Amino acid sequence: MIPTELKTKLQSRVSAAITNREAAVDVMKALQAHYGWLTDEAVVEAAELLGLSPLQVEELATFYEMIYRRPVGRSVIHVCDSISCWAMGGESLLSHLSGLLGIKPGETTTDGTFTLLPCCCLGNCGEAPAVMIGDTICGRVTVENAAGLIERERNR
Amino acid sequence: MPKLIIDNIAVEVADGVTVLEAAQSVDIPIPHFCWHPALGKAGACRVCAVRMMEGPVKGIQMSCMLPAQDGMVVSTTDPEAVTMRRNVIEWLMINHPHDCPVCDEGGECQLQDYTIAGGHGIRRYDGKKRTHINQDLGPYIQHEMNRCIQCYRCVRFYQEYAGGTDFGVMGSAGRVYFGRFREGQLESPFSGNLVDICPTGVFTDKTARFRARYWDYDMAPSVCPGCSLGCNTTPVARYRELLKSIARRNEAVNSWFICDRGRFANGEVNDPQRPRTPLIDGVESSRNEALKALLFRIAQTEERYGTGSIAIVGSSRLSLEAALLLPTLAELTSSGALCYFASEEESGRTLPLFQLLTAGRSASQRDVRESDCIVVYGCDPLQDAPMLALAIRQAWRNGATVYTVGDGISLPCDVTTVDRLDAVPLSDAKNPVLIRSAADIPDQLATTLHQHDHLKLAVLFPAANSYGASKLALKHLGVSFEQAISSGDIKGVISVEADIPQKLLEGIPFVAALDWRMTETVQAAQIFFPTTAWVEMKGTFINHEGRVQRFNKVMNPGVPIRGLDPAVHPPHIHRTAPPGGEPQPAWQILAAVIEGLGGELITEPFTGEWERLRGLDAECEGVIINDI
Repeated sequence: MIPTELKTKLQSRVSAAITNREAAVDVMKALQAHYGWLTDEAVVEAAELLGLSPLQVEELATFYEMIYRRPVGRSVIHVCDSISCWAMGGESLLSHLSGLLGIKPGETTTDGTFTLLPCCCLGNCGEAPAVMIGDTICGRVTVENAAGLIERERNR
Repeated sequence: MPKLIIDNIAVEVADGVTVLEAAQSVDIPIPHFCWHPALGKAGACRVCAVRMMEGPVKGIQMSCMLPAQDGMVVSTTDPEAVTMRRNVIEWLMINHPHDCPVCDEGGECQLQDYTIAGGHGIRRYDGKKRTHINQDLGPYIQHEMNRCIQCYRCVRFYQEYAGGTDFGVMGSAGRVYFGRFREGQLESPFSGNLVDICPTGVFTDKTARFRARYWDYDMAPSVCPGCSLGCNTTPVARYRELLKSIARRNEAVNSWFICDRGRFANGEVNDPQRPRTPLIDGVESSRNEALKALLFRIAQTEERYGTGSIAIVGSSRLSLEAALLLPTLAELTSSGALCYFASEEESGRTLPLFQLLTAGRSASQRDVRESDCIVVYGCDPLQDAPMLALAIRQAWRNGATVYTVGDGISLPCDVTTVDRLDAVPLSDAKNPVLIRSAADIPDQLATTLHQHDHLKLAVLFPAANSYGASKLALKHLGVSFEQAISSGDIKGVISVEADIPQKLLEGIPFVAALDWRMTETVQAAQIFFPTTAWVEMKGTFINHEGRVQRFNKVMNPGVPIRGLDPAVHPPHIHRTAPPGGEPQPAWQILAAVIEGLGGELITEPFTGEWERLRGLDAECEGVIINDI
């Protein structure tokens, strides 16, 4: 159950949209921020808010890789695996981060702080290899400075 | 009208027609998965590649995405195009399981056909395949996602064409999954079409699972008897069991699809309780004995109660052939009443509307799909004739306004609710169609029709041959059985596939029944003849618009082999008919009765004004009889 305040806020977001579907991503992101991930309950709630069926919300939720339909840690580390970042060492960076955190891609640290996920292009090719930690995009990430970025996020 | 050349053949097609359709029009097949005539293109499968040699675009193109244009020179056999198609098929097959021998689609699988035709005979990929977890989609549809080639036909049909919201496509890229949010029965009343539309075995008919291969099917063009729309079907049988039905294309009627109610209705034909043997006073007998007994009791009833004491009762589900013989039977039995409707209620909601369907007035499903203004008045198409609701949705998708008079009617599209029929701006519409069933306000309807010459009427009648029954009832001054017995003179009934409730038969000493279903009337009858169901005979129905449609015989009647006790099957006695094979088409039984009563032997039921229906082809669009 989401709080009435959030519900009212989202209802007005939906009514401001020209089509309900247009507000779907905002609603899903807000519910994800509330629950930590987009729970099954949240999908049904989003469907009610948007006037769609749960399936239609699920179609959108599973399309976007930054909508999480499974529990994730407090911060998600997205490591770009698209062509530019791959060419600039994205693959080694991902395995380095995996070693640093002691988890495989797709897993969450036992303390629930970090989830490590490969992702498609972050639109930061000029600064490849790119990583997104939480909501922060980091460019030119190297094996050397990666640990520092993680520590900064851990202490945030 | 663009002119183009495809494989050295000059083709001229209408504007907007794709290169793929242009090629099909001259019998050049181009493989395709995502493109479907009723759903259009998606550009998802990449298998319809052709090479454009000359014209506005050049090189390899997807023929389903490309509108035909003047000056195009197309090659479907160019080595580059052939290689492209072969590679695409190989790639589509990478994740496809090697389970054709145990897949229900095998033998009727488009993917199988095009894989072989495309030249990809030997698999080179030996890596791991993508796999999915299937969902339980209810009792009718079997889900097997591993076979999916991502053509998106299912979701385009389910959501766009049929307006369902509980089935769709999830995920992205190599992970797309076609299914529901949660396991459970598909909600759409048109879900069975997923089976027909899937080019491979992701959706198969669960009710016919693992029963037969395509080349073993008994099948023939048929017509659905489920309601008065007369949607075209291909029923499939094997070993005397009706296994399933497939939608059959008829652009004037149901286009490519049928509803679930019509599709999953095998039960009655295969019913172990179905009466299959002639009975005299509850005792099994031969056809000849039953016929003799019937003739005797007809004579006895006339002798005891006088001329006019017998009623001949047909019904609106009875085939036209048998319905046409009833007047002759009535004459020979000097019957007191010829009835095509059991109750006054059915007669009352059929005849007044039938009389409004003057020439050119009745609307086909195609007329509904092409209409720009639809009025649903006093009926619920989703309940009464689901395919009409689907037709309404297509009109709405093409921009039509859909009005419902009064509240409480749900349709798979947006509707404008009005209080009265007058409130609909019919004069502004180009091709308006009014949809109606019960006739409680026929006067207002007649006035509206009179005011708007261009308004077409689609009437939802109670049964498959209501139109034929109405036509004959009016011609032969038939009355409803309920009215016929009100005089008290009726002492005998010959019921021909009629559903006469027990209470109307009280106090009638002689009841004979012909039917293929176990009805109250059959239970009350002293003499009974089993008739064939529609799939076991060649016959004719007239649908709601007055379209005469022929259906052919799919299977021989008989007790399905499935379920027989292995101890008694095969039967070790000599017999000429299979067990339970006694049923005959109702008209043939009637012809024997007529002959027994001293009439001429009838070998052809279509005579006089009906003669033109003799050679009617089951695979044509049907003929409109609307000349009253």
